[in-house]
Amino acid sequence: MAKQALHKIDALRRRWVVYQVLADAALSAAIALLAAGVFLLLGWLVWWAFPVFWSVFSIMLVLHCPWRIGNQKIVSFLDREYLELQESTGLLLLPAEELNVLQSLARANTEEAWANLQVGHKLFAKRFLRSALLMALAALFFIAIVILYHPANGGNSRTRGIGIAEQKFPMEKPLPQIDGIGVTITPPAYTRRAQRSQDRFNISVEDGASVNWHISTNVAVKQPYLLFNDKERISLRNTGEGKTWQAAKTISGPGYYQVSIDGKLSELYQVQVIKDAPPVIQVKTPKPYTYIDAGEAQRVTIDAALTDDYGIANAQIMATVAKGRGEGVKFKEYKLNFNTVFTGQPQYDAQKLVDLPALNMEPGDELYFYVQARDTHQQQSRTDVFTVAVQDTAELLSMDGILSGANLKPEFFRSERQIIIDAEQLLKDKDSITVEKFNARSNDLGIDQKLLRLRYGKFLGEEDESQEVPKTSDGVADPADFSNAAKILKEYTDDHDKAEDAQFFEPAIKAQLKATLTEMWKAELQLRLYKPQAALPFAYKALRLLKDLQQKSRSFVAKTSYNPSPIKLDKRLTGELDKIIQPVNKQEIKPAGDAFGALRKAIEVLEQLKAKPTLTTADARVLQVANQQLSLRASAQPGTYLSALGAMRRILSAQKISAIDIGVVERAIQITITAPQVLPSAKAQPADGGLSRSYYKNLKNAKP
Amino acid sequence: MMQVNWIYMVIGLCILLAAFAVWLEIRRANKKRLALRMFAVLIAAIALACLALPLSYQKEAKQNDREAFALLTTGFAADSIPANARLFTCDATIKKAYPRAMFVQGLDMLTDTLKDYPLHIYGDGLNKSQLDDLGNLPVIFHPQALPAGVSHISWSQKLKAGRVLQVQGTYQNPSAQKVTLLLKGLNTILDTATIQPKGRRNFELMATPKSNGKRVYQALSVAGGDTVLQGSIPFSVEPVKPLRVLLLSASPGFETKFLKGWLSRQGYAVAARSAISKDKFNSEYINIKQLPLDRLTASTLAQFDVVIGDLSTLNTLGGADAASLRHEVEDSGLGIIMRADSTGKTSWLQKDFLLENIQGKEVFSALNINGKRSSSAKIGNGTTGIRYHEGTQPLIMGAQGRVLASSSIAGQGRLVFSTLGNTYSWALGGNQQDYAAVWSALISKAARRDTSANIPIEVDAMPFAGQPVQLHIANGVSSPISINGEVLAPEQNPAMPFEWSARYWPKEAGWQSLRHDNITDWFYAWPQTEWKGVQAAAKTAATQQYAAGHTPGSIVTKQIHQKLRIEVPKIYFYILLLVACAFLWVERKWL
Repeated sequence: MAKQALHKIDALRRRWVVYQVLADAALSAAIALLAAGVFLLLGWLVWWAFPVFWSVFSIMLVLHCPWRIGNQKIVSFLDREYLELQESTGLLLLPAEELNVLQSLARANTEEAWANLQVGHKLFAKRFLRSALLMALAALFFIAIVILYHPANGGNSRTRGIGIAEQKFPMEKPLPQIDGIGVTITPPAYTRRAQRSQDRFNISVEDGASVNWHISTNVAVKQPYLLFNDKERISLRNTGEGKTWQAAKTISGPGYYQVSIDGKLSELYQVQVIKDAPPVIQVKTPKPYTYIDAGEAQRVTIDAALTDDYGIANAQIMATVAKGRGEGVKFKEYKLNFNTVFTGQPQYDAQKLVDLPALNMEPGDELYFYVQARDTHQQQSRTDVFTVAVQDTAELLSMDGILSGANLKPEFFRSERQIIIDAEQLLKDKDSITVEKFNARSNDLGIDQKLLRLRYGKFLGEEDESQEVPKTSDGVADPADFSNAAKILKEYTDDHDKAEDAQFFEPAIKAQLKATLTEMWKAELQLRLYKPQAALPFAYKALRLLKDLQQKSRSFVAKTSYNPSPIKLDKRLTGELDKIIQPVNKQEIKPAGDAFGALRKAIEVLEQLKAKPTLTTADARVLQVANQQLSLRASAQPGTYLSALGAMRRILSAQKISAIDIGVVERAIQITITAPQVLPSAKAQPADGGLSRSYYKNLKNAKP
Repeated sequence: MMQVNWIYMVIGLCILLAAFAVWLEIRRANKKRLALRMFAVLIAAIALACLALPLSYQKEAKQNDREAFALLTTGFAADSIPANARLFTCDATIKKAYPRAMFVQGLDMLTDTLKDYPLHIYGDGLNKSQLDDLGNLPVIFHPQALPAGVSHISWSQKLKAGRVLQVQGTYQNPSAQKVTLLLKGLNTILDTATIQPKGRRNFELMATPKSNGKRVYQALSVAGGDTVLQGSIPFSVEPVKPLRVLLLSASPGFETKFLKGWLSRQGYAVAARSAISKDKFNSEYINIKQLPLDRLTASTLAQFDVVIGDLSTLNTLGGADAASLRHEVEDSGLGIIMRADSTGKTSWLQKDFLLENIQGKEVFSALNINGKRSSSAKIGNGTTGIRYHEGTQPLIMGAQGRVLASSSIAGQGRLVFSTLGNTYSWALGGNQQDYAAVWSALISKAARRDTSANIPIEVDAMPFAGQPVQLHIANGVSSPISINGEVLAPEQNPAMPFEWSARYWPKEAGWQSLRHDNITDWFYAWPQTEWKGVQAAAKTAATQQYAAGHTPGSIVTKQIHQKLRIEVPKIYFYILLLVACAFLWVERKWL
């Protein structure tokens, strides 16, 4: 009996575990569905919900450990739920021999109840049901998001493809003799597209595609041909008993064509051409003008994004190095290849690291380059020219400007230059001297830099540290100065010029001087840190700023060599003008011809046709001229003008003129022609038989 | 007299009776229900008095009491018609739909029938010519609400090439949905306007016609997918006639150079004179024959429609030149455009245009030309402005409403004053459109009026096919008028001898040709199916105006305007007396 009970309790325990796991799974699924909805909103991949589900599920299992539940728990649960067990289910698990009398009695009672006990699923499934409900709600949320959000998302931007523009072509009405039509379009090689075929006459093809027409007729016909743009005639080749015909043509421009069978022309069919756009190059780095200061690394990274609608065959950097200055400039050209290998993909991100010394570039030289790309259709495009300039240290270090009479004291500039020269020398000597010595020399240079900075600081009214001497006498010791506030303040406060008030220079010059000092500070810092290499850019910059300052203080007046002709003093200031003839200019200017004159006239005729649909010869002539203009436009833009051209031909040929055709033509003309300019015009004089004029005259005469 | 005495006697006796009865009631021992009893006593006394007195009230004799005559016109509502009226109509379709109405061929038949009885008009009313047929019949008009659609519309039927066609009107939209109005021409939608639901809304549609000649555009309304043709918009675009322009300048300058170039490229005749030294001029003649420009004689000036000159040049003209210029302007209508510059002298030309200096930096703004905000490029407004003066009309305004060009009238001619001195920067920058807009406005304003223009035809109302239309033709010459080849006999206006009027029935809708004095002009007649709302509104307005002038009271004499005396039936007072007395008796007996 005990064994049986044990079995039953075991079974119940398993059921409990299964339901608990199911409940966890449902809860995890609910959370995963919510997450999936959120991902969809954020535009992420929905499949990320799966890892979410598994991680949540495993965390729940670890937390709950439903398999750890013991039989005791099940028993007490049963005791709680089923009163007829009389709280004694536990006794069933115990061996019968260990029970006392009371327990045996209780056990007997319970055994009876136990045998009749039907444990329902409801109790065990409670938590699972709740989780399932949550899951259903989450599923609803997810579905709602899919329905509401997904269609709005519409054109998924991730799947970017360059497809053939599927043109909306009008309905075709083939000639009655035509039984079937097959048009095979072989796109040109550069597009890397497969051959395709269609059963319509209107075609939209890539530039340079070859098109093959297969036309089958229901009766044997003679000499059919295709008529392109009203000019070019391509005969159809007979391939079987006069009923199947074939023709081929390479399309090189847009236009229209007709099929002629037994002398009867079909309606107009469009030929749309998808032009290959030249590759687009976008240079991300460097900037159009890059200046490499002395001391900076002399290299440039060229980073360009290249895109084309079919594929990029090749891309290169065309670089020109300009050396020297004035009339002695020499150019040398280089062709640099990108690190990327171009295999005809439509998109590339190409980089190239250009080491300037490798191109024999020296300070003061300039590098001009542009990026050139060629697509698979052999179309080239290139960027604007980018310039990279390396600072000319030779000029910076030269004494030319200073020797020719600068107002400022030359030793200041020599000092900064000297610091640079010394620092470079120190870097050269680095390998041959000890670290201590290197550091000491660097520190010395730092001290020099500091002194220099202080000397310049004086110009700005900064504190003169160099001449600071300890105060020896006590100025306030004089008893006569007792409680003389001014004197005490003077003694004990730091009394000097304010930097802002020092009026040595103009504000702009002062600002630049301040910038110079800042650079000197930075250079000093690097020198004191024993990094002369890092100090060099700052030192150079300080020197350059000082040079600029020096240049600012002068002005340049070019020498002129104009010699006025001698003045005839006897004619001077006489005011005689009789020898001066009055210029008279006469010309006739015809207003420029109206490019749309024929179309404007055609509108007039069409408006009349609306009221009276019969075409006179004169009207027909006007429409013929307009027809020619329309056909010119139709061969350039068949999509816009072809229907109008067809309608115009129907008007010209037909006995019955339909208002719809007139409308189509008028619309096309309205698109084409431009509105005339507003011109001055006289207002009409109201025909009053001179009444107002005589009124005015009388009024004027009546004046006192 | 006896009557009045009788009334006083009755009232006196009844008051005495009431007082006595009240006293009795107060004296009565049983004080229960005293107030109620006293009330009953008073009621009884009043009822007794009313029985004795001849009570009556006055009432106007109702029109309905006599037979009413009603005329049904289009748009009437069947439930608003009185039942006992005799109905007439002069519209066959109404007769068909409403057989009770009697069909009359002409309204003059009604005048005979009705004599002086007023006629009730239901529906939209009658048009002008029908109202004329009524004679002076008194009318009571019961107008209907205007139908949905365009109820008023106007546009300029004659345009110059390049000008904008501007259609303005009112739309009656009783529905709860938005209506879109479309202006369609040459099978293309040129402009749209949205009409908000519930109410009358104004709208404006604009388009620039691209070619010359007679055109018929359409106004369509789209409401909830239904497209309804409101009506046609006919107009004719005339080519611009080139003008003859004389340019005078104190020194060669950019403004003159570009103006000369622009005008001559458009085929205008331009003569330019610019001073290069004292009494030395550089003269240029483009598209015009050479004529002496050293002296501005009357015969020279008569060759031009407009003179454009620097203020300093115009002010320093010699005595004879200035006099002939003034004469030509005031008596012959020559126009002058003055360009402000620094000049010491002043003359009669300037008296309407007072300049003021503007402090501060020069402002750059788009221009407001002829009261319309243009989307022109920004241009410097200069440092001077024109102070507004009575009798002038501002033409071009800059930022903050500062007047930059203004015009005034001098006799027959017009003076235009402009402070804009750098419009050439637009021409130089290739902005032909704004340049053309500014100078077109200035020159069009000033130019001598064109006397060779077409016949000005005016119509009383919109002409519709099958309806008579009154045409007014202003022309001094009394030559016969023929419309569509039919010779009409026009009637001369007795007050204005140059005005002629004629009545014409257009048979078919469309353009109608009018020939007069060897000039052909056109006017348009609409089919009756178009502009229904406009027709209804016009009829309603005309009928209302007529009805206001022909109210029945103003014509009809007293006999019709009768008042009735109606006796109040005595039975009410008997009942009242009986009830009051019964209460008094029952209360005493049983309560």
